[in-house]
Amino acid sequence: MSLEVRGLAMQFGDARVGAPGMPHTMASTKALRAPGAATRADVPADAPSGLRDITFSVNGADCLAVLGVSGSGKSSLLRTMAGLQPRAAGLIRVCGRDVTALPPEQRSVVYLHQEPVLFPHRSVIDNVAFPLQVRGIAPREAGRRATEWLARLQVDELASRMPQQLSGGQRHRVALARALCAEPAVLLLDEPLASLDPAVRRDVGDALQVARRASGAAMVLVTHDLDDALAIATHIMTLGHGLQTALDTPDALLAAPPSLSVARLLGIYAELAGELIETAAGTTFRWAGGTVPSAETTASRARGAAVACVRAHDVHLQRCDASGILIDDPRAPRLTVVGRRDGVSEAWITLRDAAGANIGVRTGSGTDVRIGDGVQVTLRHARIFSPD
Amino acid sequence: MSRGRTRVGRGIMLAALILFATAPLLLLLVTSLARGWFHPQVVPAAVDVRAWGELFTDAARRGALVNSLVLGVATACIATLLALPLGRAAALGTKGVRRIVALLAFGAVAMPPVALGIGLQLTVLTMGLGGSLRGVLFAHLVPAVGYLTLVFLGVFTQWDSHLEEAAATLGATGRERWTLVLLPLLRRPIADALALGFLVSWAQVALTLLVGGGAVRTLPLDVLAMLQSGQDQRAAAGALALTIPALVVLGAARVAARNTTAVVA
Repeated sequence: MSLEVRGLAMQFGDARVGAPGMPHTMASTKALRAPGAATRADVPADAPSGLRDITFSVNGADCLAVLGVSGSGKSSLLRTMAGLQPRAAGLIRVCGRDVTALPPEQRSVVYLHQEPVLFPHRSVIDNVAFPLQVRGIAPREAGRRATEWLARLQVDELASRMPQQLSGGQRHRVALARALCAEPAVLLLDEPLASLDPAVRRDVGDALQVARRASGAAMVLVTHDLDDALAIATHIMTLGHGLQTALDTPDALLAAPPSLSVARLLGIYAELAGELIETAAGTTFRWAGGTVPSAETTASRARGAAVACVRAHDVHLQRCDASGILIDDPRAPRLTVVGRRDGVSEAWITLRDAAGANIGVRTGSGTDVRIGDGVQVTLRHARIFSPD
Repeated sequence: MSRGRTRVGRGIMLAALILFATAPLLLLLVTSLARGWFHPQVVPAAVDVRAWGELFTDAARRGALVNSLVLGVATACIATLLALPLGRAAALGTKGVRRIVALLAFGAVAMPPVALGIGLQLTVLTMGLGGSLRGVLFAHLVPAVGYLTLVFLGVFTQWDSHLEEAAATLGATGRERWTLVLLPLLRRPIADALALGFLVSWAQVALTLLVGGGAVRTLPLDVLAMLQSGQDQRAAAGALALTIPALVVLGAARVAARNTTAVVA
């Protein structure tokens, strides 16, 4: 079970032009490897705008999450791989077989819509047995296998119900059971957890994990939510400006986003404007809250204006003592806390520097600072990028 | 206004509605059984079922009834077969295509029957089908296809195309998508369309007269002829007979649709 996509390009509704000359990051891993050089040359000069140069492969039982903002073409990518939408260029291989020109029913690729699409005139068991019925499998055997999948997804007691009698989470599970009953080589999931309330979200997320382990199918999941991707995916690909902007394991990508746009898409970093300067200790990032030595930064450029991306757990806020003397580093500038908004695990702190500019940082929700406090900020690890 | 007065007012309105709906039918029924019932007689001189019997025993009348049934069934089936893919193609097509198809379909429905009949008469004569059952069938199909195309255009405009996509990626071929997904879900609109197609043909007078040229006799034409020649009892029996298949067809369409999951209509 594997999926290989090379140089895929397609048009989609509210298309954005892929920026010419913009390189795409291809951090290869063993399981997920770019199977060849970039194939920009395959795309005709007058190819329609949309996505282009999409190249990746997914092995069986792996799950690739495709992250992108709304309108970035995530769903179009899935629909193109499923054969539901035409492509402008590129190649799609399933288990080594070129399926690019095949109709959807011959690809062994099952596409699951965001809202589960069950056939309303068929009972749950008949829905799940549908892919077996169209393959000409005897009704008794089809029923047995369908029941088996319903049981694996813990909805076998719903077998005789009609789709209209199911709750949202049950519909998702039944749709998933039906998809798996088709024994696809590739399973495409279009924002399966979007628009679900938290309890159902967990429930469907668990079902997807079961599906991934039990089916052995290569899975591709599109989402705009990093949490969804982290919950299910073994690898993450990001889309931006009509191109693939990153491809890596979740850990690697979170530790080292390859560009500012990817860091922004991941949505877990605070952005601090500053500049890179040369000091005796090497290249250092200087911002309104102080400096970050080279040992604590990963810079993609040498000197000049820069943006530091820092995760919440790498931001440390230290209150000034009563006399106004900064505790950790007397030379570091003092910032004033002017706003605080607490989330479940993080706090969004707004700081004001001496010049009156506001700076937003994320930190752990346990941070002991209040509005009006003078603070010193220490950044433990920062990724430095050129500003847009 | 008090609740009691509202209830009385509602009762009066309902009674008036029932009276308006049933009075003409009751009068027709009495007339169809009354022999020699002339003004100012309050009750008919004699009562018999001769006019009803003639509907089935008189060869000419039976022929007209059979013609009406054949035309109705053929129009219903052919118009449904044509309108379903036409409405679907229009609904799934571009906005321009949808507008053109809707305009043409509406034109066929909205055009005065006499104007449409004259135009069709010339067409049918050119085709060499003037005065034939096939020619009349062709003429009946024009408004019927128009009506049904509008019906299916509405159905497919609200159609969830994801159902077919899901079926396709689950391995269903184009034919299987039609037989296992589309047609079962379209049972109700198809039943409605068959009923509507039948009724459009069944009640047709102007087109039958103009295109059939009097050579093709149908029940509505017979009823008109009897009415014009003063055969009130026979005309009343024929007029009532005209309503029976209409009621049967509508009832059958409802029954056929009862067990259907209404996802589109």
